[in-house]
Amino acid sequence: MVAQVLHNTPACRQTKRNGRGGYCIKREMWRSHSSTEFPRALELGVALLLCAAGAQAAGTSIPHGTLELVAENQSIAPGHDFYLGLHFQLEKGWHIYWINPGDSGEPPRVKWELPAGLAAGEIEWPTPRRLGTPSIVDFGYEDEVALIVPMHADAKLASQGPEQLAAEVKVLVCREICIPGKAQLSLTIPVKSQAPAPDARTSDLFTAARKSLPQPAPRNWKFSVGDAKDSFVLSANFGHQITQAVFFPLGESQIDNVAPQKLAPTAAGFRLTLRKSDQLRKPIERLKGVLVLSADRAYLIDVPFSKPGAAKNTRDIGIYAAQSLKEAQQK
Amino acid sequence: MKRSTLYPILIALLLCTALPLILSGKTGEAAPEFTATASNGKTVHLSDYRGKYVVLEWHNNGCPYVGKHYNSGNMQKLQKQWTSRGIVWFTILSSAPGKQGYMTASEENSYLAKEQAAPTAALLDPAGQIGHLYDAKTSPQMVVINPQGVVIYDGAIDDKPTTDLEDVPTATNYVNLALEQALAGKQVETPSTRPYGCSVKYADSTH
Repeated sequence: MVAQVLHNTPACRQTKRNGRGGYCIKREMWRSHSSTEFPRALELGVALLLCAAGAQAAGTSIPHGTLELVAENQSIAPGHDFYLGLHFQLEKGWHIYWINPGDSGEPPRVKWELPAGLAAGEIEWPTPRRLGTPSIVDFGYEDEVALIVPMHADAKLASQGPEQLAAEVKVLVCREICIPGKAQLSLTIPVKSQAPAPDARTSDLFTAARKSLPQPAPRNWKFSVGDAKDSFVLSANFGHQITQAVFFPLGESQIDNVAPQKLAPTAAGFRLTLRKSDQLRKPIERLKGVLVLSADRAYLIDVPFSKPGAAKNTRDIGIYAAQSLKEAQQK
Repeated sequence: MKRSTLYPILIALLLCTALPLILSGKTGEAAPEFTATASNGKTVHLSDYRGKYVVLEWHNNGCPYVGKHYNSGNMQKLQKQWTSRGIVWFTILSSAPGKQGYMTASEENSYLAKEQAAPTAALLDPAGQIGHLYDAKTSPQMVVINPQGVVIYDGAIDDKPTTDLEDVPTATNYVNLALEQALAGKQVETPSTRPYGCSVKYADSTH
């Protein structure tokens, strides 16, 4: 209760991250609540305890961080799909992994325990970062990340009383070393017949999470990908020159994660040369992944390979890319 | 003039000698030769084992993926099973000094005794030379070399890339498959997989 009161004071509001967590208080604030005979050390101790209690309330402990199951809405309702989020907060330097972890590591895995009438979709993965060294490159997230998950609520969901939504999450947390963690998370949320209203406490978190998701590539962008011996060449026609692009492959063992991606800007876009992975034994039919053009511009791409001998010059690229796009849409 | 024409030739020669090192160590290619000091004090040359199958196991005793295979007794079982059939098994420690998994010879010998591990030898590779030669990315990454000195398997130990002990009994072990198929005179069906586990703790590793 004390923490809640202090949480609402102006000094504490500054420590909030994404509208949640961080019940830490500044010592000056505590002083106004404490009597003058309170020894300073004890005062600080109590403040630290409150901090710890606040942090614990905000999430379940995982190695070098916390994890919390959060809901976007205040309630759930029959027939109204909704989102849950897995909010990871990690100590400085520690990271977790993307769906394709890269050369080592593994992505978090979730086992849902849901009441009848609710079904979980797949995690919507935010754009990862390259966590690299000269020998090994991984893909993941540092500091803080929210993995959001679409949930389906059946129209026949009983609309009475609160429901408990639970998840068991297995996560590998790494810095220089890796520590596997397991967290049992749960969330109690009321089921109501009326349409759910957003929860103000989590709205910033979900807004930020959606902003960090790669977007579908605009329809007028044309891509093609060709096989060039030890490399794949991804060509893009956007109608303007592109001077910066990094590709994150969705599939494991397709491209060599360590090899530098060679970008050649062209008048209408770029050509990106990606060294094939040594582990790639069979030809792949499509190159899927996330193309990052700048910090806030990341796109999901799914490009079928050009037929052998096709797209030998740039004039062909448009034609074959158009066919590819059509194919992609038909899929 | 003479000097300027010589330089490209010299560079080409250098590239020619460097190229096999860059290209080898992968399935279907010649296993790169190495010399290493084992924790038992002996010097090991890979070429001394031509004529035998050789298994390389990248090791880091602090890695939870390695822990899965030692705590379940799986790795020790594999080592005993295959060395008893005349196959050579080298456990390789490529962690740099100060990094997780780095061990001195005596520390490694105590570890082997404690775990009742039974490799032919544990090779100390603190400079990461063997690791880089084979482009080892993770522990426990596994490599199988045939009697002709050709890499016939490179990748994960099995098909369950987790740290859960309960996954060991249900996993398909790629090292067993490669050795069984090769010993039966068959083609190795899965010659290469993505190695799973912890990154090898080379001197340049930060994660």
